[in-house]
Amino acid sequence: MQGRILQADVERRGLVLDPRTKLLLLITMATFVLGGAGSRQMSFLPYALSLLPVILLLSARAYKAALIAAAVYILAESAFRLAGPLLSGPVYFILLGTRGILTRSLPSLMMGAYVVSTTTVSEFTAAMLRLHLSEIIIIPLSVMFRFFPTVADEFSSINAAMKMRGIALGGRHAGKIVEYRMVPLMTCSVKIGEELSAAALTRGLGGNVRRTNVCEIGFHVQDTIFAALCLLPYGALALSAAGLW
Amino acid sequence: MVELKEVSFRYENGENGTLSNLSLSIPRGQCLLLCGESGCGKTTLTRLLNGLIPHYYEGTLTGQVLVDGVEVSQTELFETARHVGSVFQNPRSQFFCVDTTSELAFGCENLGLPEAVVRTRIAQAAKEFRMEALLGRSIFNLSGGEKQKVACAGISAMEPELFVLDEPTSNLDVEAIEDLRQTLRRWKAKGKTIVIAEHRLSWLRGICDRAVYFREGQVELDISMETLLHFPPERLARLGLRGLTPTQVALPACQPVCDTIELRDFFLSYGSQMALDIPALSLPAGAAIAVIGHNGAGKSTFSRCMCGLERRFKGTVRINGTEIKRRQLLKICYMVMQDVNHQLFCETVEEEVRLGIEAEAPGAASSVLEELDLSGLAARHPMSLSGGQKQRTAIASALLAGKKILFFDEPTSGLDFRHMEQVAQRLVSLRGRETTLIITHDPELIARCCTHILHLEHGKVLDLYPLTEENIGKFRAFFYSEANKNSLQEEPAH
Repeated sequence: MQGRILQADVERRGLVLDPRTKLLLLITMATFVLGGAGSRQMSFLPYALSLLPVILLLSARAYKAALIAAAVYILAESAFRLAGPLLSGPVYFILLGTRGILTRSLPSLMMGAYVVSTTTVSEFTAAMLRLHLSEIIIIPLSVMFRFFPTVADEFSSINAAMKMRGIALGGRHAGKIVEYRMVPLMTCSVKIGEELSAAALTRGLGGNVRRTNVCEIGFHVQDTIFAALCLLPYGALALSAAGLW
Repeated sequence: MVELKEVSFRYENGENGTLSNLSLSIPRGQCLLLCGESGCGKTTLTRLLNGLIPHYYEGTLTGQVLVDGVEVSQTELFETARHVGSVFQNPRSQFFCVDTTSELAFGCENLGLPEAVVRTRIAQAAKEFRMEALLGRSIFNLSGGEKQKVACAGISAMEPELFVLDEPTSNLDVEAIEDLRQTLRRWKAKGKTIVIAEHRLSWLRGICDRAVYFREGQVELDISMETLLHFPPERLARLGLRGLTPTQVALPACQPVCDTIELRDFFLSYGSQMALDIPALSLPAGAAIAVIGHNGAGKSTFSRCMCGLERRFKGTVRINGTEIKRRQLLKICYMVMQDVNHQLFCETVEEEVRLGIEAEAPGAASSVLEELDLSGLAARHPMSLSGGQKQRTAIASALLAGKKILFFDEPTSGLDFRHMEQVAQRLVSLRGRETTLIITHDPELIARCCTHILHLEHGKVLDLYPLTEENIGKFRAFFYSEANKNSLQEEPAH
């Protein structure tokens, strides 16, 4: 069973957070870790924030993903700290670059994986409705939520087929790996997308009545905690901008 | 309930399934079977009823389609959705949500019903379909049969008057089909109108009242189900329909097998669950082996292990005294997938079949193409071919790459009688030359081309036997016991 990382699995979702809290977490990660916002005094911030996705992924029982990502992160960071001062020239810059890319993007990617793999389509739709977004935006977005895991599924079948044909990295035809993968992927995705839309339409999607949503979303204790954690760096940013910190 | 008046339709993109000058009326509460060969227009008719034609699939439509007195082509799809519920062929692609409870709610939510009502409807549907245990599950962890059940329950919760099903059993095993049959009975008991397009007929005994046979977009036969049931088998075969009664098994001439393929340590687990548990097994080389068993029996895990696709798999296969490990298995085994589109990569059929060849013997490619009736298509793009041609291309590429063991994953799901026979002939032609393993739920296919049966259940080998006269009972017991039981109960005493 492959390609599970993008499939929302209601049977193992760990700590239940409101989708809006998850969105806030994503934005915070993107601003402070990926974007590197913040003043000099806040340099500890990315490290602290990077812990969040690890905790959340562990709570969703994605042990392997969480541990691998954490290990890669620590390795990149400690290699830079330990070996960095001893190196010079291009080697140093390669190390610097690798560390920069890894430590900046990896935590946000993990957070993204956590959000997508623990949020169901209907939770997402419910949250968007509560945020008073228009259905014109919500419906395409929710279709994407459904479409990506399906494409991931297709992708793993195509991979299997390629292996049996001996098309692999390091083998013959290695240069054509991307091309060979795209052709069947496109064909299958188009077909599945078409069938998905047809099925949704025959069940009344896109009507002129206001959709109800029976999905229970709402803020709980854990949401308050994570939201507070997210708001702290913004507070600090505001303080330092005002010259008070 | 349904009135079609001189309806003609032609798809914009020239797809098959044109309808010409069709008039048909379906009274309320009737259960109607639409049958005929692929491309005869029965799917087109189901799309006309649920409004996908002309609102989603484009083409030229003339005439009138009235459902409950309302003209479908003039009504928005979401309005039609209130009265017409649809179940489709592919359980994979008819879900909008990723968990079962939201899926049951989805249709009702779209109707804008109040939350409390939606909740009652979900509870009701779950109870009615005896699927409380399936609530709150992830769609991706369900079997094909369970998915189809959820799809039916979701439609049922919307309480439409007309149910339209388009080949709902193509991906289902015997038990799941029986489940679907119960669903149809419930709808019927409630006085709902049902229109079902199908190839397999035996499970609809006692369900359908009337059968309409299409040929080239026109109604050729409009008879009672009872009459169709009493057609002699030869006549049904001529019509291209799958048998009503269990087929007489014509036993293949069984040549004695001397070589064997030895399998060792076929173990694989998902988490704590043992998915495959076969310490040792010897398969007859050169045979055509049907791999049967219920959904979740480990059939696909078995094939993935044998093809070398499972990374954690540590077992070995011994052919002619040579031991073969996982990585080499990738080179000697090949799986022809259910969706062949996954395994065609190149721009022409010719390139496609040459892709895996190590050192080419002169003329090898053209002779294999010839043999599989593909020579005329060598310059075509594989994606432009028909389903059967694609499958043959995949087989050709495997043969040329020197594969010794071929797996077929449900090669006949969703095929009508004629196409099923073609696949069977193709498989027969491979017999003795390659070892083929065919994962299938289709007894008619097995009866036509398999020499041995490998029966898996719960990841273990339950049985492995040649398909001979004395073993025929076992084979029939697996496929037909349930079907027979039911038809005995339902046939009125004559």
